[in-house]
Amino acid sequence: MSGKKDVLHVGIDLGTSRSAITASNGAHHVVESYVGWPLDMVARKVVKKSILFGAEALENRPMLDLHRPLERGLIKQGSTKDEEAVHELLKHLISLAGRKEGQSIQAVVGVPAEALRVSRQHLRTAVKGIADALLIVSEPFAVAYGMDALLHTMVIDIGAGTTDFCVMNGRYPTEDDQRTLTHAGDSVDEQLMTLVKAKNPDGRFSIHMVREWKEKHSFVGSPPGPVVVRFPVKGKPADVDITAEMKKACESIVGPITETMLDLLSKVEPEYQEKVQRNIVLAGGGSQLPGLQAALEKALAEIGGGRVRAVDDPVFAGSNGGLAIALDAPEGDWEPLSA
Amino acid sequence: MADVRLRQSILKDAIRENVDAIEGRLPRGLRRADRMRRRLFRASVFVVVPLALFLSINALTTGKGERTDFLVVSAPPAVPAAPATVVNAPIGLEPSLFRLEVRSVIIDPGHGGTDPGATASGIAEKDVTLDVARRLRDLLVEQKITVSLTRETDATLSLKDRVAFANAKKSDLFVSIHVNSLPSVKDKRGVETYFLGTTTDPHIQQLAGDENRSSGYTMADFRRLLEGVLADSRQGESRKFAESVQGGLVTSLRPVVPRLQDRGVRSAPFVVLIATEMPGILAEVATVSNDEEARHLRDPGYRQQIAQALSNGILAYAEARNHPPSRRS
Repeated sequence: MSGKKDVLHVGIDLGTSRSAITASNGAHHVVESYVGWPLDMVARKVVKKSILFGAEALENRPMLDLHRPLERGLIKQGSTKDEEAVHELLKHLISLAGRKEGQSIQAVVGVPAEALRVSRQHLRTAVKGIADALLIVSEPFAVAYGMDALLHTMVIDIGAGTTDFCVMNGRYPTEDDQRTLTHAGDSVDEQLMTLVKAKNPDGRFSIHMVREWKEKHSFVGSPPGPVVVRFPVKGKPADVDITAEMKKACESIVGPITETMLDLLSKVEPEYQEKVQRNIVLAGGGSQLPGLQAALEKALAEIGGGRVRAVDDPVFAGSNGGLAIALDAPEGDWEPLSA
Repeated sequence: MADVRLRQSILKDAIRENVDAIEGRLPRGLRRADRMRRRLFRASVFVVVPLALFLSINALTTGKGERTDFLVVSAPPAVPAAPATVVNAPIGLEPSLFRLEVRSVIIDPGHGGTDPGATASGIAEKDVTLDVARRLRDLLVEQKITVSLTRETDATLSLKDRVAFANAKKSDLFVSIHVNSLPSVKDKRGVETYFLGTTTDPHIQQLAGDENRSSGYTMADFRRLLEGVLADSRQGESRKFAESVQGGLVTSLRPVVPRLQDRGVRSAPFVVLIATEMPGILAEVATVSNDEEARHLRDPGYRQQIAQALSNGILAYAEARNHPPSRRS
């Protein structure tokens, strides 16, 4: 089809913690959702850039006005800088995709379901101008579409800011088919920080260190081994066992996720409930939490059993789904979606 | 592999939702139900509000109204009900005679930041209030009303800051959103709406004490504020506003939660109501300590219903202000 030759289709997963892009030319990239501007002329001279993204922004954070714009899965409204951060982050992702001269961009952006429900207009304003045409969808829907799991499936997308639930009933999900919890990666970090601080009042560590500990050592159920981390206590580096705190923090999200999963299942039409129970998909960074699948299957056993599986590629599942949507959308349908 | 037609049909819906957003329309799932609810509610307000006003004035002028320290008025239901107990209603200039329009509203999501408010079943009041406030803002903006939120994010804000923000904006109405917690009586639940006044009810005194924490006001500030309250004609207007909002909450939420209790319109000395310069109310939109309500609060659809209910109440009040009841009887 000659009409599609000059178009680069992209799927973007705009997340609280990480954002990913998959393009029709085969490019795929992921960046941490941090955007930073040098605080002053000196900082600008040191970092040699007017704006920094992802890990680079995080590394240079003392010199930057650092923004993580999608707190709790929503664009922080009222903050011009955060709106600008969303805009710049998307522009950066598209630039990574390697657009050719004269090529137009048709983009599908997956966002936390809550952001789509609460601030649809605001979101469109923030992403205006980053592509020639733009379709915004909820992240769990993008995942489901990418996996071709559009019928009798529940997607549980455990991100940093929110955990989104979406039941696919063979139609575009409505509010009744979706739920959002703020029990997600960030809430585990905050809880772990509080617990470790309570046990080690003289210890010094940042939320970024806590996040790294969680990413390396998180678990639900029996610990795979002792979790020992290093941080300064009374000024001296010390190895501290945080196994109990890690377990408590990680398991803090299991109860709410289980309860919401069972509640949503109870709303599925009775003849399809069993099918959905056997087809639960975990997506997002939290899907990799060891022991979580087993914990959810244990809860499902009480209502007759079920199967929970995690997506193969939690980093790109959302953006791959976005790209699948972009490629499937008929050319004529992009017209009213001009950004 | 899902059927190609199924994929295309789902995709069409996704595209249609985006086009709706671009053209400023509500999501399809919400639109028809909204219109129906609004029509029903408006119809009920035109019958019940004039009736309640007539009965309250009648009670005062014939001396049958019994004075109590606090006031509880049942919300206007969809059909006329028995008259509410209305006591000590101020008689003064009737603002509706001036056909004053409501063009701007301040929404105050209760608590925030280091102050989570009531917490139960993993739900923090500060999160619910902010979420409902954002949804309410979207609904009111669609009705061409200018809306400002006292906080847009999970920020810590003193009551004094909230009041200063509201007064600086010079908006027409003030709506503070809260969630109740009654942990000692798990089966107690429901919605209630407050306007400024005094109370001797120990529950309301405790609630006001809880909500007035971190007020940011000094003793001197407070005395000055209280002196102004007694001479303030906003009280009567706030009461009508509270009745309208409580009516909106009960009428719109009961179809979803049939056992929802109408805890009525009450008066209480909340700082945010004392110090704001426009008619204002404080709505307790749910009771988080009740397990069933906590479960509902986790559902974004239910939080949208709450926002819609508040919007219905605000719009009904605005409409009543602009269309005074006929003086001929």
